[in-house]
Amino acid sequence: MISFLRIIRFSFQDIIRNIWLSLITISILILALISVNVLLVLNLVSETTMGAIEDKIDINLYLTQDAKEDEILALKAKITNLPNVASVGYISRDEALVSFRSKYKDNVEILQALRELGKNPLSPSLTIKPEDASNYKGLIAHLTNLDEDIVEYKNFDDHEAVLNKIDAISKRVNKVGLYVSLVFIAISILMVFNSIRMAIYTHRYEIGIMRLVGASRWFIRAPYLVSAVTYSLIGVLIVIVAFFPFLTLLHPYLQAFFVGYEINIFTYFTENFAIFFGLQFIGAALISGLASLIAVAKYSRV
Amino acid sequence: MIKFINATKKYGRKVVALDNLNLHIRPGEFVSVVGRSGTGKTTLVKALIGEECLDKGQVMVGGWDITRVRQSEVHILRKQIGVIFQDFKLLPNKTLYENVAFAMEVCGKKSSKIRDIVPQLLKIVGLQNKVNRYPHEVSGGEKQRAGIARSLVHQPKILLADEPTGNLDSINADEIIELLLKINKFGTTVVLVTHNREIVNRLRKRVVTIENGTVAHDQVVGKYVL
Ligand SMILES: Nc1ncnc2c1ncn2[C@@H]1O[C@H](COP(=O)(O)OP(=O)(O)OP(=O)(O)O)[C@@H](O)[C@H]1O
Ligand SMILES: [Mg+2]
Repeated sequence: MISFLRIIRFSFQDIIRNIWLSLITISILILALISVNVLLVLNLVSETTMGAIEDKIDINLYLTQDAKEDEILALKAKITNLPNVASVGYISRDEALVSFRSKYKDNVEILQALRELGKNPLSPSLTIKPEDASNYKGLIAHLTNLDEDIVEYKNFDDHEAVLNKIDAISKRVNKVGLYVSLVFIAISILMVFNSIRMAIYTHRYEIGIMRLVGASRWFIRAPYLVSAVTYSLIGVLIVIVAFFPFLTLLHPYLQAFFVGYEINIFTYFTENFAIFFGLQFIGAALISGLASLIAVAKYSRV
Repeated sequence: MIKFINATKKYGRKVVALDNLNLHIRPGEFVSVVGRSGTGKTTLVKALIGEECLDKGQVMVGGWDITRVRQSEVHILRKQIGVIFQDFKLLPNKTLYENVAFAMEVCGKKSSKIRDIVPQLLKIVGLQNKVNRYPHEVSGGEKQRAGIARSLVHQPKILLADEPTGNLDSINADEIIELLLKINKFGTTVVLVTHNREIVNRLRKRVVTIENGTVAHDQVVGKYVL
């Protein structure tokens, strides 16, 4: 108990006495943590981008103009029951017309042409969203085998090509992201290691004397471990305080970029708050703690 | 109390610091260890406090074979052996009192005990009036006294002094030797490594002369022979 309190005291004295070195260590931890969080943001953005693109590639079945409502609903039910189908949307002729009109509401010529035509030229359609975008093929095979009179047009060839391309891009993006993250994290770890080593280097004389007069190894290391945990805690807290205002600034840009798609960077970080920042704290504490142990071992000779 | 049996220590391939050295020091002895520069005296001290490991042979301290002492046990050994050095090894940003107290603090001693013992030790070495000075505010002799006070905090059975007077003028040196004799009288085994011929000759105690890493002379009432 005495030892415990004394270790805390030693640690805090050490932090205060070498306040500049402490601040540098904390700053470097903060930089490392910021890079981790930026990577998290990039990860969310790339995931949302992929999701948005995959989302756009619904499969549309265009039906004949005279298809009856109950036939269509029967077909819709049938497709809904196919494997790997998330949902099937039915767009009736009227709805198609409404959305067509609103889409071209500023285009006088098209609206004029529509009016001259005098009747609704659009077909009803079914919009199929697959459950798992990476597994289109099976679904497309099922749909190709579908033998229904009311289906006017089905051609999935271009879908497949696009999907394969997206799949390849997304794999590459993930790979590059992983490498970039690894390099970033490696650099951060090196920087943290180095600043801790520097901090302990300045104490090598004191460490040597502690060892000389019979302090146990545990007692020599413990204050530095406490300092490492303290640095990590302060670092994570500062990052949290600084990061949310940054998100506030970023949010409108992201929203403008992803028109019509749900990207809420706040919920991403608040929902995962404990995991993200908990792990960051644990990671920072482990790395700086390990760095302390190594440095103390290295400098504990008189 | 201290036993070296065929102790051999090499630094790298070429430098042989200790070469088949045999030495036996009994409890309560006062032994001077002399010898030319680079003959292995400091290596002997380092082997005793577990800072260097022998390549061959054995070191025993108080019946404990410390030849292969584990790093996790070195601190137990160092509580039994006080050490002082030529360069004092005091912390410059602590007062003399704090320097001595520090040795107890880092070993987990109770604060009440520290408040009790540190002034006593400082009084024994004659520093009772300078407890709140920093090392740079006192003389070399006084720094070494503080070093001695610190080396005594665990009431060690052995006190190793590696050229404790090397940085002191003869008056201060004599006072330090007097202090070591006084400590020896209380029962502590003292090993004094020194170059100082006068001191050794005046002591009229056992003298061990080291040459090329081994014991060349061992006289019960010795003289500095070189
Ligand atoms: N860490 C080391 N690495 C390599 N060689 C060393 C090391 N320490 C000592 N030596 C060598 O070992 C030999 C014995 O050194 P040691 O320090 O024991 O001598 P010493 O008798 O204490 O000398 P002095 O009287 O000058 O203090 C010397 O030749 C020295 O150069
Ligand atoms: Mg020496």
